[in-house]
Amino acid sequence: MPPRRLLLRGVLTAALVAVVSPFVHVIDFFYRREAEGVKRQKIANMRDLTPGGFIYFSYPQTGDPKIDNDPFRQFVLIMTEDGQLRVYSRVCVHLWCLPSYIQTRRQLICPCHGSIYREEDGVAIEGPAAYQSYPTNALPMGKIEVDGNGDIWMVGVDGRIGYGREWHNIKPDELVRRV
Amino acid sequence: MSSNNIKNVKELVNSLWKWTVDRLERTTIVVFKFTVPKQYVSPFGYLGTLTAIVFAILGVSGAFLMFYYRPDVELAFLSVQEIQEKVPFGYIMRNIHYHASNLMVLLAVLHLYYQYFSGRYKIKNEVLWVTGVILGVLTVLEAYTGYNLIMNQRALLAVNIGMGLTYSAPLLGPTIAPIFLGGGLFDLIIRFYALHVFILPLIMLLLAVVHFPRALVIDFPIISAVVGVIFISAGLFPAELGIRFDLTRGVVEVPEWYLTAIYAFLRAGTERFTAGALLPLLFVILFLIVPFVDRSKKLSWRDRPFFTALGVASIALVAITTVWGFYVDFSKETAFDQLYIEPTLFYGLIGGVTLSSFYVTYFYLSRQKRGQRPPPTRPIVLSSRASAVLMTTLLILVAGAVAGTFYTYSINLPNHSMFYLGVAFILFGLLLHIYRHTISVEERQKGAK
Repeated sequence: MPPRRLLLRGVLTAALVAVVSPFVHVIDFFYRREAEGVKRQKIANMRDLTPGGFIYFSYPQTGDPKIDNDPFRQFVLIMTEDGQLRVYSRVCVHLWCLPSYIQTRRQLICPCHGSIYREEDGVAIEGPAAYQSYPTNALPMGKIEVDGNGDIWMVGVDGRIGYGREWHNIKPDELVRRV
Repeated sequence: MSSNNIKNVKELVNSLWKWTVDRLERTTIVVFKFTVPKQYVSPFGYLGTLTAIVFAILGVSGAFLMFYYRPDVELAFLSVQEIQEKVPFGYIMRNIHYHASNLMVLLAVLHLYYQYFSGRYKIKNEVLWVTGVILGVLTVLEAYTGYNLIMNQRALLAVNIGMGLTYSAPLLGPTIAPIFLGGGLFDLIIRFYALHVFILPLIMLLLAVVHFPRALVIDFPIISAVVGVIFISAGLFPAELGIRFDLTRGVVEVPEWYLTAIYAFLRAGTERFTAGALLPLLFVILFLIVPFVDRSKKLSWRDRPFFTALGVASIALVAITTVWGFYVDFSKETAFDQLYIEPTLFYGLIGGVTLSSFYVTYFYLSRQKRGQRPPPTRPIVLSSRASAVLMTTLLILVAGAVAGTFYTYSINLPNHSMFYLGVAFILFGLLLHIYRHTISVEERQKGAK
């Protein structure tokens, strides 16, 4: 190919790439970014909780009851015996039923097939969810911040709701930040 | 009207028809060569056309269901219930759609195996074959997204397994899964709806354009019988509504029959991604690459013992796992134990059955001597009088079946009604066949004179 023709082709290709390049952001269209937990939302105040206390809430809240009632937005805030804060997704990683927090047993128990999750780290210790391999045997956790006033804010989700955690082995305490 | 007038009308219609056909020459429709057989030909040869016709039935019935269906996480089940219980004819419309979907999967599988055993993927048909295999996978995905739209317990189980599998895919899984899931179930149902009613059918139609051979056989008696089969199966096994999804209640469910094979692997404690995605993918890839591996010039299954044995073994594997996927041991106490399949037994048995069916077929075929082909059977020829008697009898039977259809529908027995209608369609197909047989016999006799 003569060099001049080669140059023309190169220019054409570069122009084509330039024109098409903005469309790489089309991929964003398919995700609901807000669902991945970029929103900072107040859940409760430290005064509302005593050891063993818990609050069910939805995150991220939109004000649309249909969306806020979606199982994939249901979370529970727990204060453990020794005063630690924990937030877990309420969707069982086995078959998506909604486990309840049982205060007397200090466990989350799934009503469908009896999977039992520990309150301290959300890992299943009994039932079908416990047979799944890590990281799919543990409830996704909420990232929270506690500010000077004692307000508790949810700022994100660690894990895949209805599926399990991420591969990194993060300690539950690392998700609670004091600001 | 005088005979002259009738003649004029006939001429007008004829010239109009000719005018239209002339202008169709400019369109793509002339690319296809439609053949309407004058006598019986084995439907195995055109199972693909039958699949496409059932696809068209699905398109029409599905489009009508869209009038009432609501793709909403809370309303979906209620709207299907409304279609089933309140909308006039809705119950039957839904049954047509549901049973046509089952039949389409079944016909596609039969089509695949017939073409496989008769070596049709050779003789420059590689592109047809590969698009066909992809269409088969899309057919199952289309059926899967369809039965999930009901949002009953079975749908939730299937969605759950599907999402779990997508998430567990290495590297891309966590990126792809949220595309289907969106922000939760409220997004998921609309996305599945879009996939089911538009995206997947559109891809299937585009692929079908490539997949269709230029010669198409349109055999009306068999088409009528296929419609009859849809109604008969609808009458015998009416589509169920199931139990509305409830996230506080554990119900033992099994998926639809075309997915129970995968379900059996999942239940046997196989690692999720391997069982649900990798093994089925290997199975599909096996079929995809067959034309590039089997390079012999021979077409008949008798002359290709290895590939025939492979096909028979794959049928054995699919059959045993499909049946096993349905099996629930209700003597056990918890749902989990009821569904658990002992892996050593499972893998031992399916391995044994698959290997032994391969072995038996291979050695039977490679040792047999090619005998003479059996002499062709003499075709039955009906006399004009016999045809007339038979056709009249069939007409009476069709009328009886249609009367039964109306009567049972009027006394609120829609299942019986569908069954009678199916019988009517099959009898009509038979009537049509005898009609064309008689015409062709008469024409042959005229030609002989």
